[in-house]
Amino acid sequence: MEKDSMIGELVRLVGRENVLSSDMHFKLYEYDASLIRSKPDCIVLPTSTEQVSKVVKFAHDHKIPVIARGAGTNLSGGSVTVRGGIAIVLTKMNRILDMDIENLRVVVQPGVVTLDLKNVLARHGYLYQPDPASEKVTTIGGNFAENSGGPHCLKYGVTSNHVLGVELVLYDGQVVQVGGKALDNPGYDLMGVLGGSEGTLGIVTQAVLRIMPKAEAVKTMLCIFNSIEDGGNTVTAIIGEGIIPATLEMMDNLTIKAVEEAYHVGFPTDAAAILIIELDGLKDGMERLTERILDICRQNHVREIRVAKDQAERDKIWAGRKGAFGAVGRLRPNYLVNDGTVPRTRLPETLAKVVEIGKKYNLPIANVFHAGDGNLHPLILFDERDKDELARVHAAAMEIMKLCVDMGGTISGEHGIGVEKIQGMSLIFSARDIAAMKKVKAAFDPLNLFNPGKVLPETEKAA
Amino acid sequence: MSNSNQWVSALNGIVGEPNVIQDPDRLKAYAVDGLAPKAVVIPGKVEEVSRLLSYAHLEKLAVVPRGNGTKMAAGGIPGKIDLVLSMLRIHRITEHDIPNLSLSVEAGITLAEVQKKLAGTGKGSFLPLDPPYSEQATIGGIIAANSSGPRRYLYNSARDLLLGLKAVSPHGDVVAFGGKTVKNVSGYDMTKLMIGSWGSLGVITEITTKLLPLPEASATLLASFGDLAKAGSLTRKILHSVLLPSAMELMDGRAAGQIGEKAKYLVAFSLEGVGEAVDRQVAEIEELAKREGAVDTKVLKGEDDRTFWIRVRDFALASVRARLIAPLPVILRSNVVISKLAEILGNYEKMAQTAGIGCALIGHAGNGILTSYILDYDAAKMGPVVDLIGKFTDEAAKHEGNLIVESSPRDLKERVSVWGRPRSDNVVMRRLKETVDPGGVLNPGRFVGGI
Repeated sequence: MEKDSMIGELVRLVGRENVLSSDMHFKLYEYDASLIRSKPDCIVLPTSTEQVSKVVKFAHDHKIPVIARGAGTNLSGGSVTVRGGIAIVLTKMNRILDMDIENLRVVVQPGVVTLDLKNVLARHGYLYQPDPASEKVTTIGGNFAENSGGPHCLKYGVTSNHVLGVELVLYDGQVVQVGGKALDNPGYDLMGVLGGSEGTLGIVTQAVLRIMPKAEAVKTMLCIFNSIEDGGNTVTAIIGEGIIPATLEMMDNLTIKAVEEAYHVGFPTDAAAILIIELDGLKDGMERLTERILDICRQNHVREIRVAKDQAERDKIWAGRKGAFGAVGRLRPNYLVNDGTVPRTRLPETLAKVVEIGKKYNLPIANVFHAGDGNLHPLILFDERDKDELARVHAAAMEIMKLCVDMGGTISGEHGIGVEKIQGMSLIFSARDIAAMKKVKAAFDPLNLFNPGKVLPETEKAA
Repeated sequence: MSNSNQWVSALNGIVGEPNVIQDPDRLKAYAVDGLAPKAVVIPGKVEEVSRLLSYAHLEKLAVVPRGNGTKMAAGGIPGKIDLVLSMLRIHRITEHDIPNLSLSVEAGITLAEVQKKLAGTGKGSFLPLDPPYSEQATIGGIIAANSSGPRRYLYNSARDLLLGLKAVSPHGDVVAFGGKTVKNVSGYDMTKLMIGSWGSLGVITEITTKLLPLPEASATLLASFGDLAKAGSLTRKILHSVLLPSAMELMDGRAAGQIGEKAKYLVAFSLEGVGEAVDRQVAEIEELAKREGAVDTKVLKGEDDRTFWIRVRDFALASVRARLIAPLPVILRSNVVISKLAEILGNYEKMAQTAGIGCALIGHAGNGILTSYILDYDAAKMGPVVDLIGKFTDEAAKHEGNLIVESSPRDLKERVSVWGRPRSDNVVMRRLKETVDPGGVLNPGRFVGGI
């Protein structure tokens, strides 16, 4: 279909005010937080489920790719229109529809910003647990599509453990309800496979989220180490003792220095590693548990332990952690972040090897990660104008993915496959495994129009 | 299709003759809704499962996977059954990674055996699932049926615990999804899709799950009420409090009586965790219960604590055994919004009384799951029971829920929809089944919408 007539048709469906089609707009929507770029053919910002349904039906009838998009914070190219088509930007659908506190549920539109929702809930004394570091800007729709994690996922699980139902626009524009406020609806757990499907199976226009009352007590500790091995060993020892804190986060020296320069939160810039350990729950027994954790830290040569005395101190520690990517981003023009994940007992040796890979390719790597989950975030720093450096970055990233797989882990813990890691899929899945996933894709999206070119490599054939 | 003599010799070739049952008298025990299979095969390796399913696919045989058979009274009436595929010989613990708190086990092992091994290894850990049939249920069956129990209030259910699984597809392909990391977004989350798919998309051969350290202390608090509204109010207050019981069950007097507790309505709390927290929660909930109008409270510890919860989990089984009636009680499972559970339990109680049907009711008050047990069902009661199921379903649907028939004799299945009211997403489920299993090899006719 001609681009101009496509735009004309979309204007008719959703209104002039909800269609963007200037070169400037194409440029603004050609990227996300990854290194991938590609311009959409048209951008629509629907304001209702009905409009989304109409646009999807139109795309289906004319075999045009459609890509749902929220705030564009995706780290693997998931929201980039690599095959062109219509970018459906859901940021205008940003209302909280139903605060059903007595049933511990809220119903939201996909464009609601995660932190905005959490702030509203906090006023009532409730929590929505998932807390991706980008929560200030990311949307619930994007979090669900990517199955985002965050520090507190160690104890509370990732986004798909907290999204219980959705209103979903199918490939032909039909709107269905999947899951809901009640648990265990009869039939296949479609919610399970939709979470983390990166917009390749349908478009979510409403979501039912599980909320919970705020914990009685919280204790946040900042543990400072002179060696990164000691930090890693501490993490392994805590889990090995059977203690699962609410968070177990780690940062290396390069990250600490960048954070301190950017935010002045009081992190010691000469430390090799810091751990942020948070406990939450009932106050009873928490002191004893804290003592056990601190003992483990001491056995692993901790240099200093700071326990946050109040909410202000706690906020400061977390501001440092959540701002880490941004702070590291100031060091070089670009960074590529991997999110390979390993069994948490393999963390110390994996870290040591990541350092070696950085040396081998002569690239600075800053490490900040969800240590308790075994979820690494090595940020490889570079300048994309330097083509030789860029090539080394991609080689190093691939080697880190392979390393994680060799350690018994996987290539993505929470950022998604998108385009960036699609070649890594065959490191963990056989052709048969991928063929099985493709059947799911075919059942939801027989014409392959939802976010084509993502997640599943195209060349794989079942053996 | 070749005749059955031919394919029986093919089956013998795959699993060995001692592992094929053909004796008609023995096959009767494997019947589903009165329909006996032509053979039972008991493979000993995943590779044999793969060869069996390839063969079944080629010969268009209908295959029913099975563990210890605790859920065979569930599901729609099968269109046909050629083979029952018993997973009982595939039952190893394949990896117990204690420091990583993860475990991989094959489908045919019982959960009870797994828990015993876990409790006795190192500092002790457990798999936080507590479904019915505590001694008999196999891991494969529990996961395929997404079976859960009272402690899901704190620990959630299989979809929140499993890290990965292996399965054999209806074509015989051996596939593996997920892994052993606690976070994983590589590819589609096929593990969740397989959980609760009742063997209709693949035969689960192995799972990998998170474990939790054994709690330091545990206790149970029972609060009996004369007034259901007061019992319901207590459960809602706990739900919105900072307290963290691992289970919160609400039951009617008939259910309470059968597990040996005298009460018109009983609320049971399980408390687990560090000693200080258990003691404080017992004291605080007890006080709150009294304030809410409990007529009596009781604390159970040690062996009493343990056996109480086994009785709740195995409610149907124990009752059936005690009465020596045919082992097919009618069990209905409703899912509703959490805050309405007590109110709905009361309405169900009245409806059953009006219908003259003896019905015991037990609900997960923190999860909105209500199970109704009609234990003395006989064919003479069919009409009123069909009516009652309709009324129960209407009531659940009013509160954003549904009702499934978890166990029932065949005659009743012919009159009701065992998977409840159709939902708008059934269209996707049907396409999924048709794409994954176009030949209808696995469990045909027994799942939602006759899938």
